[in-house]
Amino acid sequence: MKIRSDILRIYQAVHTWGGICAGMLLFIGFFGGALTMFKAPLERWVSAPLLPVQQLAPGQVDKVVAGVLAAYPAAREEFTLHVARQEHTPAPVSWQAGESGHELDFGLVRWQATLGADGELAVRQEQPSLLAELIDMLHRTGGIPGTLGEEYLGIYVMGVAGVLYFLALVSGVILLLPTLVKDFFALRPGKNRKRFWLDAHNILGIASLPFHIVISLTVVVFAFHDQFYDSLRAVVYRDQPMFTPPPIHGALGDASKLLPASQLVERVQRQAPGFEVTELLYMGVESPRPIVRAAVASPRHVVQGAETGFVILQPYTGEILNTSMLPGQGNTWSTLVAPFFALHFGSYGGDTVRWLYFVFGLAGAALFYTGNLLWVEKRRKNQLRQQPLPAQPRKTVLIGAATVGVCLGSVAGTGATLVAAKWLHAFGAHANDAYLTVYYTVFLACVGWGFLRGAARAGAELLRACALVALAIPVTSVIGAAVPALGMWAHTSPATLGVDATAFVMAGLFWWCAARAARRAATGPADSIWSHQPAQAVPAEPASRVGT
Amino acid sequence: MSADVKRAPIRPDWWRKTFAGAVLGATLAFALAGLFAWVGPGGISPPDKSQFVMWSIAPVWMTVLGFVWLFRTGTQALLWLGGANLLAWGLLLFVRG
Repeated sequence: MKIRSDILRIYQAVHTWGGICAGMLLFIGFFGGALTMFKAPLERWVSAPLLPVQQLAPGQVDKVVAGVLAAYPAAREEFTLHVARQEHTPAPVSWQAGESGHELDFGLVRWQATLGADGELAVRQEQPSLLAELIDMLHRTGGIPGTLGEEYLGIYVMGVAGVLYFLALVSGVILLLPTLVKDFFALRPGKNRKRFWLDAHNILGIASLPFHIVISLTVVVFAFHDQFYDSLRAVVYRDQPMFTPPPIHGALGDASKLLPASQLVERVQRQAPGFEVTELLYMGVESPRPIVRAAVASPRHVVQGAETGFVILQPYTGEILNTSMLPGQGNTWSTLVAPFFALHFGSYGGDTVRWLYFVFGLAGAALFYTGNLLWVEKRRKNQLRQQPLPAQPRKTVLIGAATVGVCLGSVAGTGATLVAAKWLHAFGAHANDAYLTVYYTVFLACVGWGFLRGAARAGAELLRACALVALAIPVTSVIGAAVPALGMWAHTSPATLGVDATAFVMAGLFWWCAARAARRAATGPADSIWSHQPAQAVPAEPASRVGT
Repeated sequence: MSADVKRAPIRPDWWRKTFAGAVLGATLAFALAGLFAWVGPGGISPPDKSQFVMWSIAPVWMTVLGFVWLFRTGTQALLWLGGANLLAWGLLLFVRG
């Protein structure tokens, strides 16, 4: 397909500017997002085994609920009944102090209630690990601190990055169209490095284009949906209602008259055959609008939440109030909206799609990384025949160092928080307070290292650091299992072992990349920011280095 | 192809076109979303329709912004998108009553 050169020139500028402004932030978002695909396994992996996973009969669970509601007024505001109990939710009932808001509360206190050996209510207070939440937050904010109004500043910045990302996609496709047939899936290694990176960049971009379009549009919506709704209310809906609140049920608010949880589960099960009911979130059981939000999981359905769909019901009568978030039972409009969420969350095919999204997420991170490499490569000064080694432009030296430092820094920082989670617990420190310190220390140290040592040296060194940090994750688990006296642990469920195994594989991958980067720096062409060979007056075989 | 060669090349006009796409594209997306809310299937009242209406804003806005640099000049971009806005907003105010 032929496209006029003036159009190509303009969209080349759009692509370059959008890409270089948003690339590193999007790398962090994609890396964090890939990990967030396995948020629940991460949560389980990091939860200290303070309480064994409780096996209770439905009747015993009902007894726990009744006991908690009678003795703990805070639970009447909101509590969760865990039908599916795993390492991070070992007890049947949990609740927390205060309201769960937009922002993370590092001092979060949670209570877990179960039945003791004597058959009586046993309640313990704990501070749950926020590690998985923090990785999610890194994914959504790019690690940019601060708030703006009631929202994290980083979310808005990520929204703007989402706009630039969409523009980069449109312009990237326009740029590729003229040579699409020729270039697509042609990966040409060999002498021309720029050609190789451009081919890699194009394959990554085109092969996952629909995924990227969906992600960029949903990022814009997730960042600005409050502003969108407010504007719609102001200029479109005005006094028309935009949402229908749950019906008022008046004077039913006596928590001792709640239907037994087992009956509610059964009621949801009947409404959602083929789904597994994983938890019931009770909200305001003594308020005029008592509701239970039942989470229902199924790998065979497109669900609106990150992991589950939902059914809303009335906890006193068992009446189903809302099925708009239950796949197949919503109205036309909620059925049309659900895929927007599911396509971002990858919640439409169980673990298969989760792994697919994990790979797409890492591939997306690689897309932005190769984009920056191309930016640098394009501005490279080649050594001319019989001429001394030219100095590379300052901006490429800086962008190269920043790319290496920021991208690998976010990887190493995230890995370090996982390792720190168990070691801090071993030393009796509370990890939630320390996660941010660990992440930002490692991240900023890597960025500093990138500028200090230059892209060529830091590239290989930071990749090795990433490999070591990743390796430390399964090693820590092995130590925890081998020496229980240390106070660390290793869970043995497949999901948590998967965390260790994935970290181990990634350690190998980083080490391989580090070896390649080190070789490039030592023996590759010297007229590049990726070489750390000392400048020679006139190289012995200048001809072979021209044009690379 | 010969017709293309004779035509003057597209001017980048970065500021005007970007403004047209970013701001007029957004207001146009809101007006179209509003029209869909009022006269689209089901009218203004169906439950959960407002969510779909909200979701429709970003794709329209981003599409306009993405292709705004194809206008021949920045002024043309402003005029066309400004005109489309006037039309869409006029219709929205009319149907909203």
